[in-house]
Amino acid sequence: MDKEIGKICIPGMRLSLSNKEFISGPGTYELKGYIYATLAGILKMEEDEKTKATIISVESPRTPSVLPKAGDIVTAKVTVVNSRLVQCMILCVGSSILVRPYKGVLKKEDIKSTDKDRIDPYKCFRPGDVILARVLPMTEIHWYHLSTAENELGVVIAVAEGSPQGISMVPISWSEMQCPKTLVKEPRKVARVIPENINQTMFKDSKESNKESIDVK
Amino acid sequence: MPLDYRRFNGPEDSVSYKRYTNKYYKGYDELYKELVDDKGRRKDGRALDEARSMCMFFARTDLISQAKGSAYIELKKTKVVCSVFDPREIPHQNEFSQLGQLYCEVKFAPFSCAQQRRPHVDAEDKSLSVALRQALEPTVCRHLFPNYQVDVFVYILEHDGACLAAAINAAGLALANASVPMYDIITSSSVAIIGKKVFVDPTEAEEHLAMMSPETEGTNHGIITMSMLSELKQVSDFVQIGSMDIECVTEAMDILEKECENIVPNIQKVLVHNVVQSFNQRKQLEAEAKEREIALNVKMEEWKKLLNAG
Amino acid sequence: MELETDVVSHASGSARLRLANTDILVGVKTEIDIPKPDKPDSGKIEFFVDCSANATPEFEGRGGEQLANSISNMMQKAYHSAEAFNLKQLCIFEGKQCWKLYIDILILECGGNLCDAVSLAVKAALFNTRIPFVKAALMDGGNIDLQLSDDPFDSKLLDVGTAPLLVTLCKIGDKCVVDPSAEEENCSVISLIVGVTGNKRHYYPNHTDKQCTESKCTTIGMNGPGSVVSKTLKDAIKQGIVAAKSLDEALGQALLKERQQNIGMKKHSYGFLK
Repeated sequence: MDKEIGKICIPGMRLSLSNKEFISGPGTYELKGYIYATLAGILKMEEDEKTKATIISVESPRTPSVLPKAGDIVTAKVTVVNSRLVQCMILCVGSSILVRPYKGVLKKEDIKSTDKDRIDPYKCFRPGDVILARVLPMTEIHWYHLSTAENELGVVIAVAEGSPQGISMVPISWSEMQCPKTLVKEPRKVARVIPENINQTMFKDSKESNKESIDVK
Repeated sequence: MPLDYRRFNGPEDSVSYKRYTNKYYKGYDELYKELVDDKGRRKDGRALDEARSMCMFFARTDLISQAKGSAYIELKKTKVVCSVFDPREIPHQNEFSQLGQLYCEVKFAPFSCAQQRRPHVDAEDKSLSVALRQALEPTVCRHLFPNYQVDVFVYILEHDGACLAAAINAAGLALANASVPMYDIITSSSVAIIGKKVFVDPTEAEEHLAMMSPETEGTNHGIITMSMLSELKQVSDFVQIGSMDIECVTEAMDILEKECENIVPNIQKVLVHNVVQSFNQRKQLEAEAKEREIALNVKMEEWKKLLNAG
Repeated sequence: MELETDVVSHASGSARLRLANTDILVGVKTEIDIPKPDKPDSGKIEFFVDCSANATPEFEGRGGEQLANSISNMMQKAYHSAEAFNLKQLCIFEGKQCWKLYIDILILECGGNLCDAVSLAVKAALFNTRIPFVKAALMDGGNIDLQLSDDPFDSKLLDVGTAPLLVTLCKIGDKCVVDPSAEEENCSVISLIVGVTGNKRHYYPNHTDKQCTESKCTTIGMNGPGSVVSKTLKDAIKQGIVAAKSLDEALGQALLKERQQNIGMKKHSYGFLK
């Protein structure tokens, strides 16, 4: 059984020495020169390409009960847009889905890195958009401050006004998206989704399913 | 928690009918004799230093589907359910805190004890909740959820002694099951002390007698519950009540420490089983997904052919 | 430490204690109650802690509730054993009537080390609690009519020699600190509270019973988010007992001196929050 699924860890288990060769990763902690597990799950050892060190982490079969922390990339859904800020619900951290949604707020000046004083939130987001954002250090209780001031961050999925649900717009520039169905153009702070980040199989799947849906029609 | 007004709460001062049976009034000595027989065995056949963790222990996880993690622990007649939920906002909090909080709630079922328990929260529930929180706080990596709280709810279904220890064990298991990051596995155990005898993992009758004051002055009596982080060898909670001298306390501590370690393999077994099971489940799901994909591909080929033909 | 007893006229017994910046007022009220069916020959004792918002603004609203609960819980546990406080002395008529002591603890100013101060003040208040003598009891069917003496001086004192004192030990670094100040409490992640029975000799000078000279733990509890190694815990308990012994002796002396002054009418009062 062990060979099939790898080494099983439980909280408090001493995993290895902590030094230049072994670095503690997610699901572990360091204490007095050793790395211990904090979750029940499978041991993972990955080599970091830059430092040649082994990152030791524990992967839990279910999403760990952790919250977004500063520096994480999160997926969030926009709920409220006003002239000063954008409110949203954080749905995912990295690749793990959160069980409870947490509140996030994106201030006007954190939307773009350029032209900070001329940003209009209404021209960047609409309620219902799904965005990628980076978590800023926490300064307020119960609200996570987010930032989209990077090329890779911003709107990923958005539906144009009047378009049928399920048809999302396609980016046509840094600041515009177009609906493939109605050809309506709308302003958005578009995220440049990096191809490497996309799961290749997922990508293929969605293509195929798209084809399929067209075929059915 | 407010009183449930829709429920008939009964007069405050009702008494159990058992009071009027002949058996009710028993002297201290009589009760004492009942606990241990001539061979030094307890009522349920255990030796004095034998805990229920050895043969009468049952634990499982994942029984409550709505909770992130849950655990059930049974020590013969002591039965405890615990569920753990994901971090949520702390209500009525207006202070920034670097560390997350644990919210613990222990409740007795109204039918859990010999005497009827009121459905509302009483002082004992509250003090158990505080003790549980105290025991769990050192083991949870609270810095990972600042300004949020993790809820731990414990429900005692049946009480036959050592309920705090059982609650702590169940909560530790449920937290690990919910994959709340923890520094260590937490286990707990309790002893009842009556005179020179030390009852490890006491039943309710033993606890009751230990809490009663003996006739002769100067005898040790009382209950101690201790919880430990097994790997780090840290005591996270220590609750003593009664009256005993320092030698007795230190002696009991050594026993408890050993006992806490004895429970660890039980908890570990459940957790390992848990991980194996969920990975098998995931594998099965993946296999099913693959099957479905193949089936879909076949369908698509068919449709394509149809389309081309049409 | 500043101690003053008999400060509230409407209470059966009272004490005010000032320990550094902590100020505590304790009043004991006595009432007649029916004993619990499973303990027909003992009275009842109940503790209430009130953290008034005067002490620190943090206690405002329900802020102090948790702290108050934990202190009253600790006290209740400490007084649970008959070794610590014998409830049989509160019995009036077995199975029918007993005295119930309501011990109300008011925290007037909060400067750390609350538990210790509370336990000292409670013991002092109990020490001068007077319970009126029952002159006569009339049996009327199942009911009992009690007749109490009207003379306030015709009353008995309670035996509180063994009443427990709580000692808080804060772990700071590798050492345990006894009697921590508010600042020290903030520094430590874990504190240990030990309840230790008192010694009758310090309170009743002509008490000759040698049996109960040994100090015993009546309750031990931990507070705070940290944890300790078991050896530290053992050492801390020992340290707590030593501290409690000296504290007990000091309290006994102070109380006896006070009583002497009271009898000689030479007492001058300090007043509150001096």
